[in-house]
Amino acid sequence: MLLYENKKAKLLSILKIGINPFKKFVSTGEIKEDLGLVKSRESILQNIVDIIKEEDNFILPIIGDVGIGKTHLFWTLKNSLYYYNTIYISLDTVYKKFFYSTYSEFIDAIGVEPLRFIVNQLCDEWGALDRIYGFFHVADIEKVKKIAIQKLENKYDRDEKEALIDVINGIVTHQLDPFKKIEAEGWLLGELMNVRELSRLKLKFDLRKGKNAYIMLKLLIENSKLGSVLFIDDFEKIISITNPIDDETDEVFDPSWLYGQSQNPEEISSQKLLQKIIKLQSIKGLHLIITLKSDRSLEEIKERFQELSKEKTIKFIEPIYIENFTEDDIDDFYLKSMKYFLENLGLTKLAKAEFEYYPLNKQILRKLYSSTNGNPREIIKHLIKIFNDIIFSNNNLNAILREYESEQL
Amino acid sequence: MNHINEIILYDLVHNIIKEGEYLGSIITKCKDEHKSVIFSDKVKISNDNGIFLEKGLTIGFEILNHRSSAFSRKLNDFTIKDLSTIEYCVKIPDDLMLLYDEGQFSDTFPFTINLLHTSGLYLDDYKHGINHFEFFYGEILKNPISLINNGIILADRVVIDHHGDPVFYDCLIVGRDENENLKVSYEPLTNVDDKVVEFIIILGIEELKT
Repeated sequence: MLLYENKKAKLLSILKIGINPFKKFVSTGEIKEDLGLVKSRESILQNIVDIIKEEDNFILPIIGDVGIGKTHLFWTLKNSLYYYNTIYISLDTVYKKFFYSTYSEFIDAIGVEPLRFIVNQLCDEWGALDRIYGFFHVADIEKVKKIAIQKLENKYDRDEKEALIDVINGIVTHQLDPFKKIEAEGWLLGELMNVRELSRLKLKFDLRKGKNAYIMLKLLIENSKLGSVLFIDDFEKIISITNPIDDETDEVFDPSWLYGQSQNPEEISSQKLLQKIIKLQSIKGLHLIITLKSDRSLEEIKERFQELSKEKTIKFIEPIYIENFTEDDIDDFYLKSMKYFLENLGLTKLAKAEFEYYPLNKQILRKLYSSTNGNPREIIKHLIKIFNDIIFSNNNLNAILREYESEQL
Repeated sequence: MNHINEIILYDLVHNIIKEGEYLGSIITKCKDEHKSVIFSDKVKISNDNGIFLEKGLTIGFEILNHRSSAFSRKLNDFTIKDLSTIEYCVKIPDDLMLLYDEGQFSDTFPFTINLLHTSGLYLDDYKHGINHFEFFYGEILKNPISLINNGIILADRVVIDHHGDPVFYDCLIVGRDENENLKVSYEPLTNVDDKVVEFIIILGIEELKT
């Protein structure tokens, strides 16, 4: 048993192995993050959670500069919303085949079991579990489909009827036809299928085509026991799609030759995307959160939404602003990150030890704050650099720290 | 097992008769040469007019051409005047029926054999006994109904295990305890020694089509 252990030396030797506690300065929707928010942002998170619980069918804008932590906010939101399916959407990845891509993200987030549960409940509602003579279930597939169409057709537009029939066929086949169950599950999971596979399931299209994916999304979201939150990151990309390319770029082909002066193909596709988002926003039980960089973008987006949805108004909640870190936030962030790093390595005893700011010191953290103005991404970039120096430099720690204390970061 | 005094509609042994009209999942066990069991969703019981079934399905065994043969017949507006020919009539509680429903269409057993017409899988009879356990060994048969001493098992499916005994899945069981009180329960799985089985009938899906 060790009677005495130099914990600071131990921490330094762990770092010297070559593991940097600060690795990522860009948060993404794909890689899960468990680090919580700094103290000054906890109220923001609570505010968002309250809005999600109280309001319905809204768009909540979150505004903040580049690198301020908007995507990281998604992960903390996801970790705190236990009773919601929280899905991250990047317009870059879902721009083409919007509904299909969003559906894929949705299924990826909720998993197969909830999907099976929801379609089972739907079939039950459509009379699949009706009992004959009080006991016996006779799955009359055609009868169940008929009831489903009767129940749902009024909730969908006329041009969505074909897709609705396909979706009902897919769900009923999955639940009631044991010999086609596996193929039908593939279809429900968004598998691309050829004509032969589709005709075996008596379906016209897979979920990539037409409005099938939208109908499936709507059915799943509206019938899920959990609420759904769609977090669309960098929403102003929708504006940049339509904005003309800067003047200096030589353009050999002017789209206006084909499409006239008023609309170019980018504008048309952007409008289509906005219309799809309006459609999505009307789904009962779905909450939309969008992130933007400025108020100006928000105003522009509001205008575009208003132009497109003349019949009904889109409910925009007052935006939530994310500010730069305060001085205390840097301390909090640094300490939390170090603790999280050690816990992740399984060094729980070391994580509980009081290091103050070791291996850095308060002076360096203040300097970091003044040189970055508290921008979290910039702070992390600097921390990565400093820790790389500590890990890989042959100089001792004090010399490295002195260097950073004296020089301009 | 749940005590179900409140849902025993008729019991010959304890002389219980609850007059009235009942809706739900009702099992009636008859005391006749066919060992009949009747399933229905609506019954009317009265001291004077006996038991009236608006719609029902009766199952049992009969002798045809000197051989035992399982049957299932639809009953429409059927009345049993003589109550002494009925042993009991029980309404299964709704919560048990919900459990039973949840076991239906299970993903675990997609390849279940559905018989088109009702057949006897097993009949314990000295003269006209039936035993098809070996033939269906390892197969999953849909909609079995079994009479076991004083009990009835209605299950979603049955498999014959390596001992040659039936294993019932997703079953409703109605029976009597040591004091002859009627009890009902739901079991996800029940294995029964074939020595105590009186009969097992596999209900044909054609018989269930309305």
